[in-house]
Amino acid sequence: MGVLNDVARAAKSIVKGHMVTLREIFKPPMTIRYPDEKPEQPKGSRGMPVLKVNAETGELNCTACGLCARSCPPGCIEVIEETDANGKRMRRPLAYNLDMGKCMVCNLCIEACPFDALEMAANFEISVYDPENLVFNKDQLATIWKNYDAVRIAGGEKL
Amino acid sequence: MPGWLIDFLWVVVKVTLVIAFVGVNFIFMVWLERKLSAKMQARIGPNRVGPHGSLQLIADALKLFSKEDIKPAMADPKVWALAPVVMFAPALLVFYVLPVGPNAVIGTDLNVGLLYLAAVSSFTLVGIFMAGWGSNSKYSLLGAMRAGAALMAYEIPLVLSILTVAMLAGTLSVQGIVQAQVDRGYYFVFPGIVAFIIYFICVMAELGRGPFDLVEAEHELVMGYQTEYSGMRWGIMLMAEYTNQFTAAAIAAMLFLGGWDGPFLPGWLWLVIKAYALVMVMMWVRWTLPRVRIDQLLDLSWKFLLPVSLLNLVVVAIFLV
Repeated sequence: MGVLNDVARAAKSIVKGHMVTLREIFKPPMTIRYPDEKPEQPKGSRGMPVLKVNAETGELNCTACGLCARSCPPGCIEVIEETDANGKRMRRPLAYNLDMGKCMVCNLCIEACPFDALEMAANFEISVYDPENLVFNKDQLATIWKNYDAVRIAGGEKL
Repeated sequence: MPGWLIDFLWVVVKVTLVIAFVGVNFIFMVWLERKLSAKMQARIGPNRVGPHGSLQLIADALKLFSKEDIKPAMADPKVWALAPVVMFAPALLVFYVLPVGPNAVIGTDLNVGLLYLAAVSSFTLVGIFMAGWGSNSKYSLLGAMRAGAALMAYEIPLVLSILTVAMLAGTLSVQGIVQAQVDRGYYFVFPGIVAFIIYFICVMAELGRGPFDLVEAEHELVMGYQTEYSGMRWGIMLMAEYTNQFTAAAIAAMLFLGGWDGPFLPGWLWLVIKAYALVMVMMWVRWTLPRVRIDQLLDLSWKFLLPVSLLNLVVVAIFLV
C-alpha cells in the first residue's frame, strides 16, 4: 500500500498548490505602476529639506542665522544674509542654496533650526540632467514646500 | 473553372485560414500565459502595448525580425537552419484531421486519424533533435537528448490512453470519435477519466511544458536545444511550441470532451473554447508546480503512468466485453 499512499499524498499536495495559485489569480496585484501611480510614502520618509513659508506673512521663516549650514556634515547649505544700505543685518536670507548633489538627507539641519524654518519634504523625484540643477535656491525650496504639502513629513511635527 | 482548380483554390483558402489562425492563436496564447502567470504571482504583466498589453507580442516579433541572424560557426548549416521548419511543420499538419463541426473536417476525415495524430505529433522530436545535433553545442545536445528520453517514455502511456478512447468509440477516425460521443450523449471523459488524466500529464511532458520543462531547464542547460537560435528562428520554434500546445489541448477536447459538440454556438467555436480551457489548465499547472528532475520524469512515466494506463486499458476492455 506504500505506492497508493504516495499517490494520495502527491495528489493532495498538488491540489493544495493549485488552490494557492487559483486564489492568487483573483487577488489584486501588488505592483504599483510607479510613474503613473505614486507610492504611498511612510510617515517620516525623507526626501529633501525645504524652506517653510509663514502662512500669515507669506515670507520665509528663515532668519539666515546659518545654524543649518554649520550643522550640515557635507556642507551643502549656503546661506547669505540680506543687509540694507547701511550694512544693517535684515535677518532674512538674500540667498539660500541647497546642493542636493551633496545632501545626505540626515535631517540635522532641521534639528538645528531654532526658528522652525526648515522641514523635510517627502519629494524624492529630483532627478535632473545637469548636476548644476541640483542646487536649489530659496524660491525653489519654498515652492517645493508648498507643492508637497500633502506628503510633508508627519504633518509638520518634527521627528 | 475546371474541377481541379476549384479544389486547389479550396486548399489554398483552407491553408491560409489555418496559418492565420495559428498566428492569431500564438499572439493570444503568449499574452494569456503572461497575463495568467502575472496574476498568479501578484503582478500585472504586460500592460504597455495595446489594451492590457494584448499587442505586446507584435512588438516582440518586430524586435525578433530586426535582429541579426547569428549562426554558430561550428554548426551544421543545413540541419541547423532546417530544424525550426521541421519543428513547425508537424504543428500545422495536426490541423489536417481536426473536425470543426458535424461533417466538417479541416482536411480529410482519415479513417486512421488517431494513428495519424500520434505519428505527426511525435514528429516534432525530429526537429528538436536536428536543432540539438546541428547546433554543435553541449547544451543543445543535452536538451535534445532529454527531449528524446522524455518523448520515448511518455509516448507509450499517451498512445495507450488514446487507445482507450478508440476502444470506447469503436473507431480510429477523429470525426467518428466525436460523433460517437454526440450520439451516445455522454463525453468520454466520464468513462475515461483515468485515460484523460494520463493523456494530460503525458502531453505536458511531451510538449516540454509545465513541471516537465527540463528540456530547456535554464539553470542547467541555458535554453536546451534552443540555445544557439536567436531572432525569428527562435521565434518560429516558440510558435511551434505554442501551436503544439493548442493542438494537444484541441485533441484532448475532441477525444474526451466532445469536440465541436455544444449548444447555441457554432461547432468550431466550441472546439476552440474547450481547447483554450484546457490550455489554461496547462498554464495553471505550469506556473504552480516546480520542475521535476530527469530521473523523476522517467520514473513517473515508466514506473507509474505506464502500468496504470495498461491497467486502465484492460479494465475498459473488460467493461466493453
